[in-house]
Amino acid sequence: MLIALTTCFLIAFSAPWLYKWLGKHVVIPMALLPFGVMAYLSTLLPDVLHHVPVVQTHTWVPSLGINLDFRLDGLSLLFALLITFFGGLIMIYAAAYLKDNPLLGRFYLFLTLFMAAMLGLVTADNFFSLFLFWEITSISSYLLIGFDNKNKTARTSAWQALLVTGMGGLALMGAFILISIGTGSYTFSELLRQESDFSQHAFFAPALLLILLGCFTKSAQFPFHFWLPNAMAAPTPVSAYLHSATMVKAGIYLLARLSPVFSGSEVWQLTLAGVGAATALLGAFLALQHTDMKAILAYTTISALGQMVAMLGIGTPAALKAMVVYLLAHALYKGTLFLVAGTIDHSTGSRNLNKLHGLAKSMPAVAIAATLATLSMAGIVPFLGFIGKELLYEAALESSFLVPLLFAATFLSGVAYVAVAIALGYKVFWKNTKKQMPITHAPTPKLYGPPLILGIIGVILGLAPNLLITPVLERAAQSISGSLHTELELHIWHGFTKVLALSILTLLLGLLLYLIHDRILRHSSKLKGIYALGPDSLYRRLFQGFLHQAKLFTSAIQDGNLRRYVIYIILFFSGLMLYVLWFKTPHVLFSSRLHLLQLISFHEVVLFVLVAAALLYLLGTRSRLTSIVVMGLVGYSAALIYILFGAPDVAATQLLIETLTVVIFVLLLHKLPAFIYLSHQFKKYNYIAIALLFGAVMTYTMLLVQDHAVASELKDYYGKASLAEAHGRNIVNVILVDFRGLDTLGEITVLAVAALGIFALMRLHPEKGEKP
Amino acid sequence: MRTLIFATAIRMLTPVFLAFSIYILFRGHNHPGGGFIGGLIGSIAFVFHILGLGTRQTAKSYFSITFYKYDRKPHHGTIRHALRLLRKNLDRRKQKEKPKSIWNYYLLRLRPTYLMAVGLLVAVASGMVGLVLGKPFMTAYWVEGKIPVIGSLGTPLMFDAGVYLLVLGMVLKMVFTISKD
Repeated sequence: MLIALTTCFLIAFSAPWLYKWLGKHVVIPMALLPFGVMAYLSTLLPDVLHHVPVVQTHTWVPSLGINLDFRLDGLSLLFALLITFFGGLIMIYAAAYLKDNPLLGRFYLFLTLFMAAMLGLVTADNFFSLFLFWEITSISSYLLIGFDNKNKTARTSAWQALLVTGMGGLALMGAFILISIGTGSYTFSELLRQESDFSQHAFFAPALLLILLGCFTKSAQFPFHFWLPNAMAAPTPVSAYLHSATMVKAGIYLLARLSPVFSGSEVWQLTLAGVGAATALLGAFLALQHTDMKAILAYTTISALGQMVAMLGIGTPAALKAMVVYLLAHALYKGTLFLVAGTIDHSTGSRNLNKLHGLAKSMPAVAIAATLATLSMAGIVPFLGFIGKELLYEAALESSFLVPLLFAATFLSGVAYVAVAIALGYKVFWKNTKKQMPITHAPTPKLYGPPLILGIIGVILGLAPNLLITPVLERAAQSISGSLHTELELHIWHGFTKVLALSILTLLLGLLLYLIHDRILRHSSKLKGIYALGPDSLYRRLFQGFLHQAKLFTSAIQDGNLRRYVIYIILFFSGLMLYVLWFKTPHVLFSSRLHLLQLISFHEVVLFVLVAAALLYLLGTRSRLTSIVVMGLVGYSAALIYILFGAPDVAATQLLIETLTVVIFVLLLHKLPAFIYLSHQFKKYNYIAIALLFGAVMTYTMLLVQDHAVASELKDYYGKASLAEAHGRNIVNVILVDFRGLDTLGEITVLAVAALGIFALMRLHPEKGEKP
Repeated sequence: MRTLIFATAIRMLTPVFLAFSIYILFRGHNHPGGGFIGGLIGSIAFVFHILGLGTRQTAKSYFSITFYKYDRKPHHGTIRHALRLLRKNLDRRKQKEKPKSIWNYYLLRLRPTYLMAVGLLVAVASGMVGLVLGKPFMTAYWVEGKIPVIGSLGTPLMFDAGVYLLVLGMVLKMVFTISKD
């Protein structure tokens, strides 16, 4: 697993070079990768089918419980297979869709990166490795939505998706931390095995809410659904892959994964069912208001995700079965339809339903793919979509709570799907075939092949469900329910039951809805007023307001006067320290320390006098060079003090830094403007007062620290371990490069960034009107 | 600052400073010193060189390498050609005149930013050694045995060398940027 993932990441990052090297043939390695991983996963299939999850463990940060654990059970395998199979098809499709784009290599980088992250997400067993992959999917989604980076809409949409899902990611992190503190387990398998009941723990409710927040933002559930339609600014292969088939289902995946732990709780059941049903209804309703094919598909995706969430909320075996079947059916037909929309856009230059008609003649293969997919979407008999819908109806009717709402959600969104399916399948392709629609260029096999394959798979799976896919789906349903007794058998024909009657009713009502669709569209503009109160405009207003306030704050605090920055920092720090010193700590007894004054030796007094004299002289000088030299004197005196008190490393560093500072100042000297006193003499006293305050606070703190030295074993430990374990006698250096090496690594990284910042500042010419 | 005495002295002293800074880097594990201090000493050597001789001269003598090459003439054998190339490249400090027309040359410039990047890379790579061998990130590994002056070799020393390069690169980047006009 780790090897497969590492290969994916390596190939992802070499994609731009592969593109440079192979040109348009870059698609070959990029498409072989997902199919290769899929073949690898298929070899694991027998194990999983025999209820032996594949487990692999690699240590990473064992002291924090963070390891790269992989565990492949039914649910993970279902998702992993979907991801790799779709990934391969999308790679091929993208090669044709972005044929003339010079950034194809970069596109493949992002897409493969995403695929690897998604694979890691669904196979990760450790909370924190899942979180890591979760965040990578968010970031790669951001990069992919904003792929057309010259387009402002794409950029803002990308931001929006990143902020919303990033917020969810943070919530998820919190949830994972709470769960691991509460139960002591860091992996899902351990969590599911545990005997003790987490639901009695004080952290249960917050963890639950945070998990819900994370999953709802990722899976575009109400009220966070708004980012998904905006994310359609991405190139169509991305929409098909990330925002329909895989990434948005990460939330569903996590909900399903944690379902055995949380499903006992009523909050979980009611929230999932309620939010899911509301999202399903809202998505279906909004889908009817649009004429852009991608927007329609986006809203129906939201609606379908809502249905899956609702099914997880119901949590009965029937509902879970419906969930997994519908998951697969939806991925197949929605992926197809997105690809079809992309092909139409590519060939005709339009995605508007009102403008497109009768395309069947000019692109027959695309028409067949679209028809197959829309029939599955509408739920006509031999398709997988039909089976999925039957199961949904059954599950909703058998639910133990909220039956009217759940049923209304599935039924009404079913009706809307039928109408949308007719519009997409019939209206675009078969209506008005006499009147030719002008197309700029006919689709190539790479453009119609992938959707056609997906559409045909939808039929095959519908015709012979038990042969191919039932075992995997069954294992997936079992992983969700947590018991081995959830059995799954799929039938195309259930006989004349209540559900079948409902299905036929759905079709009829859907047809009716399609017929009045034009009228609905005409009236949809009246709803604009309501949308202005929706979460999308709320988000935008919040974003604008935040930027505005930040700008005001920045221009108030950071006015370009360096001295003032330092004053703010020092005053704030001193204020905090004074608060703590005054209220929270014991006081220093000066009287008990008076006798220490006798111990002061002569050379210390000399140093003190030297520094004090230098500082006094500094206050009066009017030459820059003098002040630099005097400051250097103060610095060297500080180094001398370090030497006197036995810290040669610090002293050496101080000496060298002081030298460098003086030399760099001298280099800069001739560039600075003339030395003029602009500030009033009175201001100088203010500065002196601030400096004295800071010095006094720091001195007092040092005395306090000495009075109440914390007993620490650290010093002894370092002293002993330095030579024995780290082969070094210089404890300071051993701490720097070995014991606390990670800190040093962070510090030198900061140094590097600071140097680049200085470089940028020095190269900037504000007088020429350049802006940072 | 550009007096003749200072310039001459600094031209001779800079290599000494550099050698000393590397010595400080290696002794750091057992005595006062280490990558940070070593890097600072090394950079001070270059800073004085810049003060004495100017940015251009420093960049020319320490941060760029010129490779001379020419197309082999038919009457020159391969060995003779190689020897000539070697001699030309080794002797180039003595030659004051511009390369003659048959000599093409590559100019390889070492930018301080690269030094920084390499330093960071070395530091991270020293940590990765542990990760590759299946231990947590930054687990230290030591080679058995001791070498005079350097002491024992190990990943912490490599990390320190990374710090050295990064500090050197950082100061040089700053100074080069500031002193260029």
